[in-house]
Order: sequence, then structure tokens, then C-alpha cells
Amino acid sequence: MFFENIKLAFKSMFSNKLRTFLSLLGIVIGVGSVVAILTLGASASGSITQSLESGGIDTISLTATPTAKNYDTFDEKLGQRLMANVEGIDTVIGINSTRVRIRNGKIIKNNSAYGVSSDYHTVNNYNVAEGQWFTAEDNIQRTQVVVLGASIAESLFPDGGAVGSSISLFRNQGSKSYTVIGVMEKKDASFTASYDDSLYIPYNTFTQRLQNMPYVGSYLIKVSDGYNAVTVSDNISAYLNLLVGSDSFFVFSQANLTEIASSITGTFGTFLAAIAGISLLVGGIGIMNIMLVSVAERTKEIGIRKALGASPKVIKGQFITEAVVLTMVGGVLGIVLGTGISYLVCKLVSWSFSVSISSYVISVGFSTFIGLFFGWYPAKKAARMDPIESLNYE
Amino acid sequence: MDEVIKMEHISRYFVVGDSIVKALDDVSLSVERGEFLGIMGPSGSGKSTMMNLIGCLDTPTDGRILIGGEDTGSLSETELAYIRNRRIGFVFQQFNLLGKLNALDNVITPLLYSGMRVGERRDRAMQALERVGLKDRMKHKPNELSGGQKQRVAIARAIVTQPDIILADEPTGALDTTTGNQIMDLFRSLHQEGNTIVVVTHNDEIGLSCPRLIRIRDGKIEGGEA
Repeated sequence: MFFENIKLAFKSMFSNKLRTFLSLLGIVIGVGSVVAILTLGASASGSITQSLESGGIDTISLTATPTAKNYDTFDEKLGQRLMANVEGIDTVIGINSTRVRIRNGKIIKNNSAYGVSSDYHTVNNYNVAEGQWFTAEDNIQRTQVVVLGASIAESLFPDGGAVGSSISLFRNQGSKSYTVIGVMEKKDASFTASYDDSLYIPYNTFTQRLQNMPYVGSYLIKVSDGYNAVTVSDNISAYLNLLVGSDSFFVFSQANLTEIASSITGTFGTFLAAIAGISLLVGGIGIMNIMLVSVAERTKEIGIRKALGASPKVIKGQFITEAVVLTMVGGVLGIVLGTGISYLVCKLVSWSFSVSISSYVISVGFSTFIGLFFGWYPAKKAARMDPIESLNYE
Repeated sequence: MDEVIKMEHISRYFVVGDSIVKALDDVSLSVERGEFLGIMGPSGSGKSTMMNLIGCLDTPTDGRILIGGEDTGSLSETELAYIRNRRIGFVFQQFNLLGKLNALDNVITPLLYSGMRVGERRDRAMQALERVGLKDRMKHKPNELSGGQKQRVAIARAIVTQPDIILADEPTGALDTTTGNQIMDLFRSLHQEGNTIVVVTHNDEIGLSCPRLIRIRDGKIEGGEA
């Protein structure tokens, strides 16, 4: 009986293809949106997490904007004070930076130079492609060495051979010659640093020879394993508030960004979910409408079936099955649509596309439910028809 | 005595606006197994009401009706459907085949409702179609069949459940005389095989060809009890 009902449902669907398709649109769009929400959500959070982690989700950046009264707080010992007063800090690296003019032979560039410590690259998961990073000894000795980002190395040394060569850095009154000891791998820019266009000099070399700053411009803080970067950055802010006041520094962590990003995708998801909900409701009403039309059109058929011995329950079963088959076909079309759209969007914004199986299960479940819910009343109406009246219906 | 139809003082009233129409008024009738009964009467006489009561599509306002020994007066919709399925085989004037289904599937339909297994359904339906001479038209849809062929499919659908009563309502009404006669011949041969047949008609020729005939007028059987 069940399989006959399914067969009948497909027969009546195909006997009126255009009408079937039009009445299914609501379900298709609704399910399509559900699938798109979940698929895009999964793809987006995967991609955002990936890009944030490459920027170092466990790092916090602290930028100094001191006044004349408190700039001496932002010295090289601030790291130790932070580590003593705030829990969960693994490393603190002082960073100063400035724009410099760089010359190699006839090629001249203007880029950012960073004065950093010897463990800057490890904290940032930033890898050396060629040569090496400078050592702690280089820092103490204030040696005139430089490590180049991938892009700047390419533009200064289009033919390669950067490591071992010398370049000149101009600053104010004159220029100094530095030996290139390393070239870095390419790394996507994070929210706080553009790696490939920068060059890196030992911190002490930078302050002594390139720019003598009265304070440390910024600090890169690595959070210890097992501590939440957001909590640690909040604690650092609280500590510095007491020390210098809130307008003399700026604390920023990738983890904060992750929170912002996930709240944005959350808002977006809620919006899409509202669209999905409305289209599923409208789609369901469309199904109810088309089933009522179908029941009215097939009054005669219902009368004949009743005369042949179909009980009210059997008639009800036939029409509910038809509604469920209808909505499930809509659900499958919606899955195809939603997956297709998500795939295109992922291609467009270059997220890695990941299929959400759970969205398919939810969609099939949902469309079955809608078929049952909105098919119930028309089916009941069919079951209650008077056999004599419906037999005589023309 | 094996009575397949027993009506005792049956009345069926309909409320139309403020008045009550007595479609059947204190009618009693008894039909034995194996009889070939014609029910005649002009339109509005109450013969359709009679047919609906015998066919378990309706229940009486008053009186007792037994179909195959079962009192149908107090049965629910579902129970009436069950009796229609097992005991009654309908043949209609306008054939009433299901247009989307082929001849075989049309004949299978009542067996679907009796819960028979797939293989047996098919065999029984094919036998019934063979009996009415349409074995080679099994896969044809109703719109590919002539009027006489459609009525034969309908008859096959009526006999496939081996019912107690084959109930035909103006079975030749939509057919030309020759084809109508062929259909009546088919009923007669089914009667000779032992089937109980009730034909409702307003056509004298058809009515008079029935071995037993009752006439209905104004909700009563002419000549009283039958």
C-alpha cells in the first residue's frame, strides 16, 4: 500500500510538472537557504579560524601611545613587569618600527623596518626560507644584519642571491650597510602585521643605529598554553589601566577578532535563518494550497476509490504520502540549490568549501515535517468526503 | 435459504431545506444468492437511494439492512468500506475508471485495499481481465479504450474480489445498443457462473431481460413487498 501510494504520488506530480515545480519553489528556496546557511557557516568558520591561527591566535599585540609623563613605563623591562603581574604570559617581545629607504645597487624601495628580538619569528610561526634569523648574540652585539620578507627580497634581488649580499638603509642624515642573512617564506598578512613587505633587524641594532626611540613602540605577547588570549588581554588592559591610564596604550588580540568574526557570521546566520523560516512557512502554505486544489480536482477519484473499498484512513494516507513526497522532492532540489550556491560563494571569496552533512539530514527531516504538517488538513478533507457526493461529482 | 440482500422496512429520508424528502419509504426486499435482479423506475423514484444502500455507500434512516448477513445500519465509515471492498462489485454508467492507471492497475486497485500480496493481486487481476476478454489490453489506459472495453475493464474490476453482489448502475447507459447488448450478455454469463447480479436501470428493454424485476415508484416497491 505504502509503495503504491509513493508510485501514485510521483504519477500525479509528473502529470502536472509546471504546477508541481511552482508550488515547490517555496520549499526549494527555504531548504536551499538552510543548506546554504549551514554550509557557508561551516566553510566560513573553518576558513576564518585557519587564517586567524596563521596570524597567531595565541598572540596579543600591545601598542604604546604614551604621553610625555608616562613614556618611560614602556621600556624594555615592561615585559618582565607584565609577566610578574598578569597570569598566562609566555613571552613578551618589544618591537619598534619605522619607514626606511632601502637601496641595492640601483633599486631603491621604501618599506617598514622592524626592530625585533631573536625569537620574533618563532612566536609568529614565521619560517625562514633561506639563510637564517639573527641570534640573541646578534642583538647583544648590535650587529648590522637584516632579514628580508619574501616580497621585498624579490623586489630588491630580482635575480635571487639575497643572502650574503649587502644593502643600504637610509635614515635621516646618512646610510648604513647591512648584511642580508636570511629571507623569509611567504606568509599571509595578519590583522596586525604585513609580513612579506617588511624587513627585520635585531632590536638593539635598530634602536642604536636606525632610530633612537625613547620608548618601545609595541610589544608582541605570547600567551602560555592553556590560557585564553581574550582573558589574558583583558587582564593586561586592567593592569596597564592602573599603571598608565587607558588612553596610553592599545591591546589587541587575534582571539578578539575571532569573537567578532563569529558574532558577525552569527548575525548573518540569524538573518538567513529568518529568510529560511519565512520561505519554509510560505512554502508549506503553498503545499497546503496545492494539495487542497489536488483534493478538489480529484473528488471523483476519491469517490471511486471509496466505492472500491478504500477506508478514510487509506485515502488520508494516500494524500499525506503525496504531500510528503512533494516536499521531499522540494527538499532534495533545495539541497542541490543550497550546495550549489555555497560552492559558488566559497569559490568567489576563496574559502575552503566543506559540505555540511548535518544540514542535509536537517533539510530532509524538515521537508518531511512540512509535508506531514501542511498535508494533514487536505488529506483529512479528502478522507471525510462523502462517497456518494464525490462519485457523482463531475 | 442464502439471502445476500435483506431489507426490512427500510426508509431513507433526506432533509432538503425545510421539508423532508422520503426517497425510500418502508421498503422490504430479499435477494437470494445467485439471483439476477433488475430494479427499474423513473428518475427520482428512489432507485439510486436503493442502490446506494445495497452498495453500502449509505445507511438507512430507519429499518434493518443485511448485506451477506451483516447488518450495515450501525457500521462506521471504515467498516462500510471493508464491506464494499469484500462483498460489493460496482459497475457504473460512466465506467469510473482511474484515468492515470492502465487497465491492469485499475483492476488491481480493489485488491490493494484488501491487503493482498503483490503477486497474487496481479494474477487475480489478469484472470479477471481474461474473463472479460481484455487480456491483450492490460497495459492500455482508459483513454485508449472504447466505451465497451472500458465497461469490460470496470466489470473485471467488479468481479476481481469475488464479491457477493455485482451491483450495476445503468451499465449500458453510455453505450450504443450493440455494445450494450454485449455487456448484458457478459452479465448473463457471469450470472450463469453463479454470481448474484443487481442491475439498476430505467431502460425497459434491459429491465425486462432480467430474470427477476422489481419496479420502484415514489419510494415504494410497486406491488408491495418483494
